Amino acid sequence: MGRFRWSRTLSVLRLGILFSTAGDTAALGRDCRDGALLALDELRAEQGSALAIEPVIGDPGGVGDRYIALARRMLTEDGCRHIVGTVTSQSRKDVIPVVEKHDATLWYVCPYEGFEANPNVVYTGGCPNQHLVPLFAHMLPAYGRRVFLAGANYVWGWEMNRLAREIVTEAGGSIVGERCLPIAETDVAGLVAAVEARRPDFVLSNMLGPANHAFLRAMRDLGRRDPAFRPKRCPVVSCDLTEAELPEIGAGVADGQLAAAAFFECLDTSQARRLKARAAARFGATRRVSSYFATGYATVRLLGEAALRCGTDDPTRLRAALDGPETEGPLGPLRIDPATNHAALPFWLGRIAGDGFEVIGSGPRRAADPYLTGPRPLVPEAGRPRLRVVS
Amino acid sequence: MSGTPNFRGQRAVVLHRPSETTERLARQLTLLGLTVAVRWRPLDHATEADIVLVDADEGWTGLLPWRERDNKPVPLVALLASEAPGRVAWALDQGADALLAKPVTPSAVYPALVMATRRHDEACAAAAVLGELRERLRLRPLVFGAVEGLRAEQGWTEEEAYRHLRGEAMRHRLTLEQCAAALLAAGQGRRA
Repeated sequence: MGRFRWSRTLSVLRLGILFSTAGDTAALGRDCRDGALLALDELRAEQGSALAIEPVIGDPGGVGDRYIALARRMLTEDGCRHIVGTVTSQSRKDVIPVVEKHDATLWYVCPYEGFEANPNVVYTGGCPNQHLVPLFAHMLPAYGRRVFLAGANYVWGWEMNRLAREIVTEAGGSIVGERCLPIAETDVAGLVAAVEARRPDFVLSNMLGPANHAFLRAMRDLGRRDPAFRPKRCPVVSCDLTEAELPEIGAGVADGQLAAAAFFECLDTSQARRLKARAAARFGATRRVSSYFATGYATVRLLGEAALRCGTDDPTRLRAALDGPETEGPLGPLRIDPATNHAALPFWLGRIAGDGFEVIGSGPRRAADPYLTGPRPLVPEAGRPRLRVVS
Repeated sequence: MSGTPNFRGQRAVVLHRPSETTERLARQLTLLGLTVAVRWRPLDHATEADIVLVDADEGWTGLLPWRERDNKPVPLVALLASEAPGRVAWALDQGADALLAKPVTPSAVYPALVMATRRHDEACAAAAVLGELRERLRLRPLVFGAVEGLRAEQGWTEEEAYRHLRGEAMRHRLTLEQCAAALLAAGQGRRA
C-alpha cells in the first residue's frame, strides 16, 4: 500500500455516519453504525497519522424527516463529503438528492430492493439478484411453489413482493396470498389468519422491526396449534432478518425460520472469527455481529483503504480508487463494480437457532444486477437448488 | 400481472450534442441493458432504434424523420432543461411520450423509458382502433344501402334485413361493410 499524502488543503477526512438508533429499524442502525466505528478504530490504529478519518455522527432518532437536514448539515457545515448511512429505502431516497447536489458520496450498506444505480451512491448491502433470487432458487424446489407474501407498506415491501410474485409465477408457482401492513403495525391477527387459511408452502416476510417480531411470535403460536405451520413445514423467510433483532424477538421464538444474508456471525471463516473477537473487545462479550454490522465495517474499511490509495476525499477520485486490489474482509474479497457502484456479494442461507443462525446453504459470490437485465426466468421452472448444502 | 419492464437488448438513439448529459444518459441506459448511440444530426428511417431520446432544447424540425407525430414508429423521450413554451410545444409536436428534465437525474431515466414505451404502445393501439373505426364510418352508407335494397327486394323489415346482412357477413368472415359492398356490387341487394 502506497504512502498516504493528503492534498494541501485537507488534513482530515470527515465521514458522516447517519443511522437512527431509535424507531423501527433501531437495531439495524445501531449495528451499521457500530460496524463503521469499529472499522474507523482499526484504520486509526493501523495507519496512525497516515490516514485521519473523523466520524461526524448524526442520529435522526427514528424521525424520518430528520435525515435530509442532518445530511445537509454534514455536507455544508461539518466538512463531510462522504456519508455512510440510512437503513430504509425511504431515507436513502430522501438523502440522495442532497448528496447529488453536493456531488458527495452516500455509502449504503443495507440490502435493498434494486432498480437504482446512482453514480453518487456506493451500494454494499445487496440487491435482489444477490438475495431474493438465490433465496427463491433454494426455497421453491425445497418447500414448494405455493407462496404467501407479507410486507410492510412501503417501497421495500411492495417491490420485494412484486419481484417475488414475478419469480414464483415465472417458475410455474402461485402466490396464494399477499398482505401488506403499515410499517409499525403490530396487530398481525388478520395476516396470520390469512396465512392459516391459504396454507402456503412458505411465507416471505418483508416486514420490519416490531411488526415483523409480532408476526414471528404469532407464527410460532400458529405452529403450536397446527403442526403444518411449524418452520420445518412452512418456514417464514426474509432477506433482512439478522442476529441484531433476535434478542428483541425473544430467545427461541423464531427458531427454524430462515433468512438470506451476505454474512452470518457463525460463519466458519477466519475473517468472521476475527470480526467477532474485535466486536467483543470493543462493545462487550455479549455483542452479536450481524450482516449489518459486518457490512458497515467492511464498507468503511473499503472507503479508508481507497482514501489511502488516492490521498484525497474528493468523492469522484475516491470512487475511482475503489477499483483497486481486493482486500479480504468478513464479506469475502469486497469488489465494487465500477459500472453499477454495487458490491459483488456472497449468498448464505441461515436458519435461526437460539440467539444466532446456523448456515444451511450457500451460493457463489455474484455481481449485482440492480435492474435485473440478466437471463430469464430468474428461477427456472424445474429449478434444482443451486445452493450447496453445507450442513 | 405484467412483468417488470425490461429494456435488455434494445437500441437507444440519443439525439443530443455530446456532453455531460449524454454521458450520464449513456451510463444509465447501458445499466438498463440498452445499447446507446449518441448523434447530433438528423435521424433517418434507416437508423435502427427501439427508443429515441431527443434534445428538445435545441432540436429543430427535421431532426426526427417523421412528419406527423401519429406516424412516430418508436417511443420518444424529450430531454428538456428549458421552460420556454415553444420548446415544450416542439416536444409535443414531435410526439414526445415522456419528458426527462436536464440535468438528468439517474433515477429519472428508467421511469421515463417505462412511461414512454407504455404511452407509445397505447397510442399505437388507439390509432389502430381509430383507423378501423374511421374506415367503417366511411363505408357506413354501403351498409345503409344494402339494408334498404334487401328491404325493397325481400319485403323485410329493417331489422330483418340487417340481421340477414350480419349473418352473411359472419358466414363469409367479412366485416359488415365489406359484405354490404359485395351485396351492392352483385346487384342492388340481390344475394351475393
